[in-house]
Amino acid sequence: MGKLESRNIEKYFTHDGKPLKTLDGINVNVEDGEFVCIVGPSGCGKSTFLRITAGLEKPDDGEILLDNQPVNNTGPDRIMVFQEGALFPWLNVRDNVEYGLKIAGVSQEKRNEISNRYLDMMQLTQFATSYTYQLSTGMKQRVAIARALVMEPDVLLMDEPFAALDPQTRDLLLVEMQLIWQKTKKTIVFVTHNVAEAVMLGTRVLVFTHRPAIIKKEFKIDYKRPRVAEDENLLKYQKKILAELRPEVKK
Amino acid sequence: MKSSTLAKKIGFYVMIIIVWQGLDSADIWPDNIFPSPVDVVEDLAYGVADASLFYGIGTSLLRLGIGLTIAIAGGLVLGIFMARVETVNQTIGSLVLGLQSIPSIAWVPLAILWFGLTDTGIIFVVAIGAVFAVTINTYTGVKNINPSYIEAARNMGAKEGQLITSILIPAAFPFIISGFKQGWAFAWRGVIGAELLFSFLGLGFLLNVGRQLNDVSQVIAIMLVIMAIGILVDGVVFKKIEDKVMTRWGLR
Repeated sequence: MGKLESRNIEKYFTHDGKPLKTLDGINVNVEDGEFVCIVGPSGCGKSTFLRITAGLEKPDDGEILLDNQPVNNTGPDRIMVFQEGALFPWLNVRDNVEYGLKIAGVSQEKRNEISNRYLDMMQLTQFATSYTYQLSTGMKQRVAIARALVMEPDVLLMDEPFAALDPQTRDLLLVEMQLIWQKTKKTIVFVTHNVAEAVMLGTRVLVFTHRPAIIKKEFKIDYKRPRVAEDENLLKYQKKILAELRPEVKK
Repeated sequence: MKSSTLAKKIGFYVMIIIVWQGLDSADIWPDNIFPSPVDVVEDLAYGVADASLFYGIGTSLLRLGIGLTIAIAGGLVLGIFMARVETVNQTIGSLVLGLQSIPSIAWVPLAILWFGLTDTGIIFVVAIGAVFAVTINTYTGVKNINPSYIEAARNMGAKEGQLITSILIPAAFPFIISGFKQGWAFAWRGVIGAELLFSFLGLGFLLNVGRQLNDVSQVIAIMLVIMAIGILVDGVVFKKIEDKVMTRWGLR
């Protein structure tokens, strides 16, 4: 019994008119406050799994449970951070961050109070009135994370949020992401193709196989935080995970 | 605008006026067929002095404004419906494409039969001439929305109604504004055309009066006014909005 549970999730896609099995029974049990990273070869369905968890896609079999209750639609209890941020260009940073609260009918005063807190946490306060075209890719992802945190979701779902960042910005955000996790005690499921990233962030790393994907192996990462990219001890974890992942990528 | 561009433009128009005056002074055609620029300016001055010109402009713009507002409201609703409900697209959508190919002026006989020679008739012509351009652009805009905007909004709890106002319309706005611009162009042609045929008040009416009185300088004066308003709306109003939208939406 965990915070978030996936039971035997299966998913087919249609390819050239034939069904193509992508997920072949994914069973994950995420404890409250865990930071779970999923790595796998590209096209293995790890993002699809995350989208199913978010309720953006329906599984062909199996179910997702949140606090033991089945969920089969999107809900503000599971907020997704998209790879490209999916920020709304017609809104400034503050209005983007407050979007979900506004939709929920939270008063302007209360909205400002909450958004101020997260703008500050993500070091965005001075950009509150900027529009997305004025922001760097790294800034955009900060806004996307702030927009998700404002919803105070039970589970934060992150779909390769740092994939498009330059290495320096990514390293910075990887450290910050750990601090945010420690501060907010959120349950996080984080999909990435970058093993170093997974090892830096995760309390646990799940390795997906090539499709039809199952969970090949999982690794507990018990290591002090904040972890930094240069730390050689993390390389040992990386090597072990890469040893499992490499044959899958070659398939 | 760069000052060199502006200088070129001014030079070009000054040249046209000089050539025009030169042709008039050469006396190739009689004055009642080919007026001088001075005649046309005098005619405009009369129109300004007795305010008939402003009354004409005001009447035409009011009809256009009402018709275009109806067209925009209708076009937005229809376009969004077509984009969100496939059945609506397959049925009404095909009809819209057909109706869009009818020039607004071709609606005039029907407008006269249905509404008589009334303002309502003219407004009908304006609205029906513009509505399908707005519809099709709105449809295209909504269809082209980055799906992750819609997913993100749904994920944060937006219901279908909230989705329309907070995501679909603003996200599709770069297309919608093109729809407004096209709609305005059709509406402007429509209102002048309808006024010519309905013949009471408005710029189209003043054109017709000029023809009836054999007053060629009035005809040309009114045509210049029609052109000037067109330039003002297209080149200033819409350009400003488009520039702002394109920048903010990150499309340039």
